[in-house]
Amino acid sequence: MRRWPRPGDIALIAALLLPLAVALPRLGGPGGPPEMWLTWVGKVSGILGLAMMLLAGAVSCRVPGFDRPFGGLARLWHLHHWLGFAAFILVMLHALALGLAAVPASLDAAVATLFPPLSHGALWLGWLAWAAMVIFLAPTFDFFGKPHYQRWKRLHLVSAAALLLGLGHALLLAGEAWPWWLLGIAGLGAIAWRKGVAPSRRHPYRVEEVVPLARGVVELVLRPEGSGIRHEAGQFVYLSPLDERLAAGRGEEHPYTIASSPADAHLRIGIKDLGDASHALQTVTPETRVLVEGPYGKFFGRRFPERDMLWLGGGIGITPFVGGARDLASGAAREGHVQLIYLAHDSSRAYYRQELEAIAGRVEGFTFTRHYSRERGRLDEAFLREHCPDFTEREIYLCGPSAMNAHLQRLLAEQGVPASRIHSEVFDFL
Amino acid sequence: MNINKIAYSTFIAFVASLATLVSIQALSSSDRDAADDDALDSVTLDELAEHDGAESCWKAIHGRVYDITDYVPDHPTDEEVILEWCGRESTEGWDNKRPGVPHSARAEAMLEEYLIGRLVDDDGEPLEPEAAARAEEGDEAGDADGEPARLSPAEDERLHRALLGLPLDGHYRGVFIDRGVIQVNITFDLEDGRFTRLDYRHLAYRDDDYLAMEEDDELYPVMRQHRQILERLEGQPVTAIFALYEPERLADDIDGYSGATLRGAKIISSIRDALNRGVYSWP
Repeated sequence: MRRWPRPGDIALIAALLLPLAVALPRLGGPGGPPEMWLTWVGKVSGILGLAMMLLAGAVSCRVPGFDRPFGGLARLWHLHHWLGFAAFILVMLHALALGLAAVPASLDAAVATLFPPLSHGALWLGWLAWAAMVIFLAPTFDFFGKPHYQRWKRLHLVSAAALLLGLGHALLLAGEAWPWWLLGIAGLGAIAWRKGVAPSRRHPYRVEEVVPLARGVVELVLRPEGSGIRHEAGQFVYLSPLDERLAAGRGEEHPYTIASSPADAHLRIGIKDLGDASHALQTVTPETRVLVEGPYGKFFGRRFPERDMLWLGGGIGITPFVGGARDLASGAAREGHVQLIYLAHDSSRAYYRQELEAIAGRVEGFTFTRHYSRERGRLDEAFLREHCPDFTEREIYLCGPSAMNAHLQRLLAEQGVPASRIHSEVFDFL
Repeated sequence: MNINKIAYSTFIAFVASLATLVSIQALSSSDRDAADDDALDSVTLDELAEHDGAESCWKAIHGRVYDITDYVPDHPTDEEVILEWCGRESTEGWDNKRPGVPHSARAEAMLEEYLIGRLVDDDGEPLEPEAAARAEEGDEAGDADGEPARLSPAEDERLHRALLGLPLDGHYRGVFIDRGVIQVNITFDLEDGRFTRLDYRHLAYRDDDYLAMEEDDELYPVMRQHRQILERLEGQPVTAIFALYEPERLADDIDGYSGATLRGAKIISSIRDALNRGVYSWP
């Protein structure tokens, strides 16, 4: 998760600073009496805020592959989230600073700066952009409680209006237009791609089989209708089932990890009953169609290829490791040794266990260990030392419920494993 | 504190700050009213017009007069842009910082610090921007009293002079060019057909720039002779230029420089060039 900057980050920062760099010669430096530096702060925060807003839009394009220079889609969504948050704060700082900058002149001037006559349309475009931001960000930041996922998603489209209005505000008032055209096209183009083009480019698959793994967990076996997607082990896709008999989530897209090997002609996806849509999928009708978009993510991206790997999976978080193990079973070359520790409550919840044990028996360099919390309590250092004595030297991959993730992160940090050697992709908010 | 709480708190703080600002302003607002204006000194268009440069720059904006001399160096745009409006009714410039974009409310508040009076007409009545701008335009057409601009052909002196081929009163500029190089560039006004305010804008021969010469320069006396010519033409009728065919009639022999050095014909030529070009601007 950590370890940055990555190539994508550097490009993002460059794009973020571009409008400011172009405007700075005109703005000069901060300093002088309060009204001067407040004006400077107001302008700089406005420029950065809008740039962040447009770039938050740009990185939301979700073009398969685009996420990789950023370390995977999960991390890219984190960047998107933080960009949006910072933009929201900066935009308000922008307005307040410019308003306060006029206070030394007079209170009337301050109010008239913020709320001029309606004929000053360019300024009111800025207010409308802010209002649009409040509309689509209020549910994102849970201003009024957690909204329903699909409603949140629809409301988030108001961001396109916010970008357009903000762009108009800047083009009419800012001195230089070309950086704004550039970022504006990137931001709005991304939204147009996401909502306009991308849906028609999803890959159709048929549900060939629904394999029950445990109570509330199934594996969907999907057969491509066309060429299908090409993926790496540990990546994930967005899946939209089209089965008309589904009780919920028909046509909605949700992210699921691929559990099959890249060499497999079928796409296998482990699905746990965690919400309305995934609950409905437990009984999806075979031979109905699903649409698949992806792949995304970079779960098994190596940072220290010379090191052995330790995989720690729990609950439905075992799926990327199932994909990885199946990849090994299908003959994929992997440098060094891999040890998978499966954290489950007990054997009834350790789905995929038999298959994983079988692979461990066949594949040299792959060891499988199970840990049942019902018998041994939470995973501790002693267990790790016993079964994987060199765990502090390995590159470690985590996937599981957030409590497990947090526990393991803490445990590993205490044992001196640097954060850069721990991988995890959490996409619970995607 | 998580990101959601920070976003929410900032949002509330922002809205609260705006509400505070607006309510304080509403509770303490002081409108500009007519009584304020009556207390201000009266400034007529003529008085305004006297302060038309960087050394003293007054502007009339929305019926009020401001002395912005001290602010001119601090203005963000080129000085020329702001000086252009000195001594004039400037509401149009104020309302169009860029075409269609007025100055900000903050600029407006800053402007009030430079308030010195209110614009009035000759009867002491307040003058609205449009009326003032009209009066100024009328002024430029030689018609300050607001009389109809069109005169009867029987009494239009300018028309009479034009019909007879006589030079009109006004401001003139002309040059003498030889082999592609300007040697004399002259400027003068005609008042009642007589020269006033004669001056050289440029005076050079080969590589010698006479206007830049110091007193100890070898050719300085030539420059003095040329100046003398202009002094002696001052107040003379236009026809006096022909005396320059014998320049010694108009210039003294200074330090042994004589008519041979003095090219009177070049000055005649540049003045005739100015007259041929017609009035450069109305006085």
